[in-house]
Amino acid sequence: MEMFLDFFANTGFGLADYRNFIMIGIGVVFIYLGIAKHYEPLLLVPIGFGILLGNVPVFKGLGLSIYEPNSVLHYLYFGVTKGIYPPLVFMGIGAMTDFSTLLARPVLMLLGAAAQTGIFITFLGALALGFAPNEAASIGIIGGADGPTAIFLTAKLAQELIGPIAVAAYSYMALVPVIQPPIMRLLTTRNERLIRMDEPRTVTKREKMIFPIIAVLLCCFIAPAALPLLGLLFLGNLLKEAVVTERLAQAARTSVIDTVTILLGMTVGASTQADVFLTGKSIGIFALGAVSFGIATAAGLVFAKIMNLFLKTRINPLLGGAGVSAVPDSARVVQMVGQAEDPENFLLMHAMAPNISGVIGSAVGAGILWSFMVG
Amino acid sequence: MKGLEAILYHNGFAMAAVGVTIVFTALVSLSVIISQLHRVLFVWDNRKSYINKALRLFSAPKPHESEPVVKYFDNIYESARQFNLLIRATGEPFSLPELIGKAETRGIAHAHSTVSHLIAAGLIAADGRGYFRWNREAYEQLLRQEPK
Repeated sequence: MEMFLDFFANTGFGLADYRNFIMIGIGVVFIYLGIAKHYEPLLLVPIGFGILLGNVPVFKGLGLSIYEPNSVLHYLYFGVTKGIYPPLVFMGIGAMTDFSTLLARPVLMLLGAAAQTGIFITFLGALALGFAPNEAASIGIIGGADGPTAIFLTAKLAQELIGPIAVAAYSYMALVPVIQPPIMRLLTTRNERLIRMDEPRTVTKREKMIFPIIAVLLCCFIAPAALPLLGLLFLGNLLKEAVVTERLAQAARTSVIDTVTILLGMTVGASTQADVFLTGKSIGIFALGAVSFGIATAAGLVFAKIMNLFLKTRINPLLGGAGVSAVPDSARVVQMVGQAEDPENFLLMHAMAPNISGVIGSAVGAGILWSFMVG
Repeated sequence: MKGLEAILYHNGFAMAAVGVTIVFTALVSLSVIISQLHRVLFVWDNRKSYINKALRLFSAPKPHESEPVVKYFDNIYESARQFNLLIRATGEPFSLPELIGKAETRGIAHAHSTVSHLIAAGLIAADGRGYFRWNREAYEQLLRQEPK
């Protein structure tokens, strides 16, 4: 009987406390949202499952927990803590992305820059709430709505916050269709939402091939710390546009990004162990993340309205909402909100321009914050 | 430390302002460069013609004002008179083979090359419907320029 009780004490049932069950509940919700509601399923399902794995109570010393140096999960988590997975994800994104709309209307790139204001305003907010500067920088980047960038910066600046920040970033990315539309409707008039965009000019293949080379050199000369993310983003894009490297592009946009996404999602989920995740800081991070995301969306919308004061041909200010880098979700939301007013208004293609520049902008923003903190 | 004090202590406002400025600088510069990319490529594709234009600007001498309008034809005045009479007799509009044929019948020397020179001098002009007309204005202007 004593042996049985000893064994029971070392099982999950014996080791669990209420926080494990809360986290397991969150994991189940993530899996549900991914599968049943189709909210970012490629991310939420691995993260949700990782949360389950990370919150099965285990006996310390057996090398099972993600935080134990000799565990399998720990080795897989290495790619997160050393910032390896996010650039690989960026390479896959680059290999999938068509920059034509951006090249056709470069002025829309400013909307991607404006939306990054949210990062820096939230950074100030986090400082004001008592977070250390490195933590505040990691929290601010949630406003970029870019999971890999948020994980990359947090891995460099505040590893202990990777779990909450990654979960917050991906949660808000998944909730783009819920968070953004009310802000868009609040900050734009019906007439503005009805504005139709001109057909963009045709972009040549050669322009698309030259763009990643110019972009990586320019951005990385201005913000060298953005090199790991932007370097691989534009490498992936060059592989895609160069045609002769189609095999590599194909690998980057399928097997590489899929493998990395599984590992990244699962290990980030597993890092949210109840004892490190359910803290006051996590609640603060979630609250600030929501504020950050809201400010980023609003900044893009307001900037689009300001641009209209100077542009000969007005742009639809909804495009500003796509300045956050949740690709392509926020562009889809712009399309959805625009079509709610005018079913024949097709904004998706135009919204991809600020959306993609948001990816570049948030990577530059992360690079800047990183260099500020280590400088 | 919290609130404004924490922001000021960590130099937060300066970092935020510089950060936003750098993000804008990067994306504005990129946007300006790529907005000109297709123009640069156009110039590159047509580089030979641009180089030739530039070379002509620096090397080609300007024609002297005293030079005659049609320098390659030294007896244009006489030829113009002959063809003026011929065209008045045969009528307008006319086709070039018809005009050359009639000129040869009447014994005008080198009818082909003469007609070619008159076209180059603007005395014979296309009417846009496949025929040609005699340009009286140009003819009278030419005669006014004839050295006495």
